[in-house]
Amino acid sequence: MSRLSRRHFLAGTAAAGLLAGCALPGTTRAGGAAPGGGGASGPALVPAPARPASGEISFAHWRGEDRAVLDGIIAAFVAENPGAAVRQDISPSSDYQSTALLRIRRGGTGDVFTAFRGAQFVDMVDAGLYGDLSAQPFTDGYLPRLVRSGRDAQGNQLGLPYQYVFNMPLVNTDLLAAAGASSAPADWDGFLALCESLRGLGIAPIAWPGGEPANAGQLLNAMVMNNAPTDDMFTAIEAGTARVTDDWFLTTLRQYAQLAPYFQDGALGASSEPCQQVFASGGAAMLATGSFHLTAVRTLGAAFPIDLIAPITVDAGAARHQGVANATFLVGVSTSSEKQDAAVAFVEFLSRPEVASRYANGTVQHSTVAGVEYTDPDLRATARWLDAPVILAPRFQFENLDIRSAVENACVEVVRGVPPEQAAESAQTVVDQRRPG
Amino acid sequence: MTAVADAPAAATTQRRPRASGVRPARTLWLFAAPALAVYTYFFAAPALQTVLYSVTDWDGYSAEFSWVGLDNYVGLTTADDQFRNAALNSLQFTFVVAIAQTLLSLGLAVLLTRTTRASTVLRAVFFFPAILSSVAVAFVWKFVFDPELGPLDPALSAIGLGGSGYLAEPGTAILWLAVVQVWAHAGQLMVVFIAGLQQIPEMYYEAAKVDGASRWQRFRYITLPLVAPTALIVVAYTTVQSFKAFDLVLGLAGNPPNPPLDILATRIYAGFADSRFGYAAAESVLFLVLIALVTWLQRRAISRGADA
Repeated sequence: MSRLSRRHFLAGTAAAGLLAGCALPGTTRAGGAAPGGGGASGPALVPAPARPASGEISFAHWRGEDRAVLDGIIAAFVAENPGAAVRQDISPSSDYQSTALLRIRRGGTGDVFTAFRGAQFVDMVDAGLYGDLSAQPFTDGYLPRLVRSGRDAQGNQLGLPYQYVFNMPLVNTDLLAAAGASSAPADWDGFLALCESLRGLGIAPIAWPGGEPANAGQLLNAMVMNNAPTDDMFTAIEAGTARVTDDWFLTTLRQYAQLAPYFQDGALGASSEPCQQVFASGGAAMLATGSFHLTAVRTLGAAFPIDLIAPITVDAGAARHQGVANATFLVGVSTSSEKQDAAVAFVEFLSRPEVASRYANGTVQHSTVAGVEYTDPDLRATARWLDAPVILAPRFQFENLDIRSAVENACVEVVRGVPPEQAAESAQTVVDQRRPG
Repeated sequence: MTAVADAPAAATTQRRPRASGVRPARTLWLFAAPALAVYTYFFAAPALQTVLYSVTDWDGYSAEFSWVGLDNYVGLTTADDQFRNAALNSLQFTFVVAIAQTLLSLGLAVLLTRTTRASTVLRAVFFFPAILSSVAVAFVWKFVFDPELGPLDPALSAIGLGGSGYLAEPGTAILWLAVVQVWAHAGQLMVVFIAGLQQIPEMYYEAAKVDGASRWQRFRYITLPLVAPTALIVVAYTTVQSFKAFDLVLGLAGNPPNPPLDILATRIYAGFADSRFGYAAAESVLFLVLIALVTWLQRRAISRGADA
């Protein structure tokens, strides 16, 4: 081979390798659907659980703090199914939010997997990742009104929300009593008066992690639940049938401005961990995140009684909702799994009341499974909220994270001192730029 | 005439001798082939693939997509406030870090070049943050910046500068982020500068001393010119490193971060997380072009400075 031809050969080989490597992942729309495409023909039914289950399966989720409790549950599952094994594949929540879909779709990970309610669940359903659990008898063991968030538009039960959390502020009831309040205020004026009384005690009324978008946005759930004309307020904003500049949202922003003096000093730059410490040490009366931080504040030494509280932003008689909840951690069986029998058997095991009780009390999260017994004192103290008129957390109606981020950032801007109208206009600009079509 | 006519033909058939005078054996290509194949498969092909994705509307998981031509690029450059904000933040962050980190690491290197027990200990102290993961650094600095619990606010308040939201204030948040980046990496680049400084022959300094040069003159006319090639490497490395300061921002501010901390790397990540794979690929291509442009401008500026 001459030197020139060898060079050509190498160049040709490299070019061929590049072209082969650059092949795009599917077909163009004009070319018709490719195999494995996004669920156009409906979700695939998963098989009934085999008895006993066998083979190793992967359980993909983001709850690192639940590892020990789940290890115990898995050990019980393996004791019942000696040929089976379950490996926990845990990613941090932000990483899971971004990469889980691709990893699970590739297979090997996430025979049983979870999704956040909202954008991630929708994406995973669109990707055809969830096997259909509708025909499985164990889905009847869940509280009917709480499992709706795991259904697709056709009503197929694809995911089973395993956690029921309350996305509303925690409150130190000792400080509430010290401020002269025997119960949560029933209207906006009452809430502001409570904040003023708490401030009079020399503490911050509300610890709010304004510098951490993921947790700062939780307060928005309660702030809009009664202000918005309909319960699908953020779906409407994303669809373009409502605007951030509408009166009801401007009212919400003005109320954020009223709350600004009652947040802890430097709230705009605070993240959730320092806020938890301030709350746990009694330096703030409320922690504006949610029940998912109960364990953390107890671990930090909080010994006072804790309840949940949601600001009612309207007159008492006009309040449709008293609080906010979210049915999330949507457990499902992957259509990419080669061990669906074992995967379904594991989900069936998780769905048993005694197993769900163990999970709930071990992780201090309420459950969507019927018949769960709460032994944890905090879960018992807040269990009354299970039957309260709550709204499913509106912020998870957003399917586009940039739109959600823009809307939530408008609240942060208002607390910083930006006029509500200006903050709303900026947010609406991003919404318009990001809205599909 | 014949001799003249034959000369070009002879020139084309006669191979030009290699500078080294050694012609590599053909089998040597086999040694390079695995590396070439790995490079092609893992680097060149994905880079080209990204360019192809960038002209589609692929969501990252569907089996179907549409070609959208330059729509993604047009949207990015004309109607995307978030991308524009992130690009400006990235440029500001890189500019500040490149200058501050280079100057600080050079200063530390000059002070700690001589190998003594104290300087060895201090080098280790300054290098220590470089061995921490960015996530750990972010977690620690979250508390440092916290206005209620962190040590920074009381210290700044004592001189009348406290009470800020630090990572929340538009305009200054990115500068505080730069502080963390410099803190984490200055020690690492100090080591590079020390290696460069130790290459400078001692006799130059001795001769300059004999000629009566002051400490500053020795630094200005000996150290600076001779350490310039090292500085070029440090600045180029710092630039790329700053543009890619992704995990630090994600650890400090989550995904997507608030606008004051949103940089191009986190914006691209947000695009992937939002199932806008084609759009995020277009952002990646523009990101690559921006890094190449900034690096090229830096090289030109530094080369001109060195020539002058």
